[in-house]
Amino acid sequence: MKDTILQVKALSKRFGGLLAVSQLDFEVREGEILGMIGPNGAGKSTTFNVIAGAYAADAGEVSFSGEPILGRAPHQIAMRGIMRTFQHNRPFAGMPVIDNVMVGAHTRFKAGLLSVLFGNAFQEETEKRKKAESLVDFVGLGELRDADVATLSFGQGRLLEIARALAGEPRLILLDEPAAGLTPDELARLAHIIRGIAARGIAVLLIEHDMHFLLPLAHRVVVLNFGAKIADGLPAEIRADPAVMDAYLGSHAAAH
Amino acid sequence: MNYLRWIGAFLLLAGLPFFLGSYYNDVYRKMLLWVTLALGYNFLFGIGGQVAFSHFAFYGVGAYSIVIFLIQLQLPLPLAILLGIALCVLVALAVAIPSTRLEGFYLALATLALAQLFVVVLNEGGAVTGGTGGLANYRLPEVFGLRIAGPWYTAVIVFLLLMTFFILLKLDRSWFGRACRAVRDNPEAAAAMGVDVARTKVIAFTLTSALAGVAGMVYAFVDNTVNPPIFGLENAFLILFMVIVGGAGRHAGAVIGAVLLFLLPFVLSPLVGHHHVLVFGLLVLGAILAAPKGLIGFYDSIRKNF
Repeated sequence: MKDTILQVKALSKRFGGLLAVSQLDFEVREGEILGMIGPNGAGKSTTFNVIAGAYAADAGEVSFSGEPILGRAPHQIAMRGIMRTFQHNRPFAGMPVIDNVMVGAHTRFKAGLLSVLFGNAFQEETEKRKKAESLVDFVGLGELRDADVATLSFGQGRLLEIARALAGEPRLILLDEPAAGLTPDELARLAHIIRGIAARGIAVLLIEHDMHFLLPLAHRVVVLNFGAKIADGLPAEIRADPAVMDAYLGSHAAAH
Repeated sequence: MNYLRWIGAFLLLAGLPFFLGSYYNDVYRKMLLWVTLALGYNFLFGIGGQVAFSHFAFYGVGAYSIVIFLIQLQLPLPLAILLGIALCVLVALAVAIPSTRLEGFYLALATLALAQLFVVVLNEGGAVTGGTGGLANYRLPEVFGLRIAGPWYTAVIVFLLLMTFFILLKLDRSWFGRACRAVRDNPEAAAAMGVDVARTKVIAFTLTSALAGVAGMVYAFVDNTVNPPIFGLENAFLILFMVIVGGAGRHAGAVIGAVLLFLLPFVLSPLVGHHHVLVFGLLVLGAILAAPKGLIGFYDSIRKNF
């Protein structure tokens, strides 16, 4: 079995009287795609935001490569190799596509300010720009490289989020409902991209609402309901789990 | 960057005043200083998204400190310059570190308070600042036995402008410039990308404030007098208008805004006399309403459509 890269133990997060995440345990292994599903309000995005440092946890432990990361600021967590996308696109509106992706590479620049002003930081800049260009190509936005981000469609904006996160050379990438709102064509392309990310040896923690998209893609799946884990296993096991059918898939199927 | 271009720009801009009379040379010098200030303020406000009203006060800190260190205390020039920069950096850090920890308009309030406080300190500073009358009747000591005056001093101002522009351009085209823009556009996303938001803001504020201070040092020997009214709030707002009218976030916009708004009163005064302040205000308002992205944005949209 592959080594664990992210370990979450007994994680709890409360918003006032609401227990959004309750005693959650799970792990992500190197290079795997771990799917996390659950109905709206199950605590998926909250879990994400706690791991990424955007929210403080009330109890529990999160360790990345064996190092505790709870209580670290978002930029420190990015520095350690966890990059994320947002549930709602958050581009840097004043910059072209390529520069948005270059911001993702922020933590990988070695040149200090003095070297920017008087040294040869432009070599590093050129090198990083080439890498960013190849990432823009990888997610299929090559033709829009120099476009204003305001001109991107919703689906293109989702892909930009992924390219930007990859530019930080993460060892773990957190994808927050990347499939939401995509057309069938875009979904197929997204699945291909996510497999490509895992093939590069980057672990993927993928939050998804849509089990039809997630189950064929994930190596393992964690199911949340009302902030607690109700199942954990291979996609085939999740499909067959009566508790999951009851709590989530059944109600989900009935709703459609 | 092509160094020949920089040298060419220097020769052109520094050569021009040798053909101007002393009146126009004076107007030209002040225009260059405004352009220098607007470029720095554009980096802070337009690129960094920090609404600060202290830029002109730092110009004053630089101007007063060089006169106090160099003339009053008789320190050597390089030491006086270094101490002046150090003072600007310390004051900038003292303002930026606490105010960037808070959200939104606290920086605007803190810097407005600083700008006001600075004028109070100048007025109440006794012999050190010369009080309400300021400091006058001094001049730049000889440097290497040379007295730099007239168009030669204008060359010093051109050097200051190009040095400021060079520094800002290098910063803008690096990870630091992108981090500043990212913090301006979406601080949460910037943090998720690994940008230390507070640190980026503090560095941008301190660097641009120090550049304003250096410009102030050069200004101190333009009129050979520094006094409190120059560094009041009126000019602090004028610099904001220059950047907005020209096009915030664009270096060319800052240059256009500074040149136009600086020269506008010279054109308006003979036409409308004492009402020139009112007409000036209306024109600025009209420009902001007609071209929210500034004159440079207006120019871009024309070029795109034709």
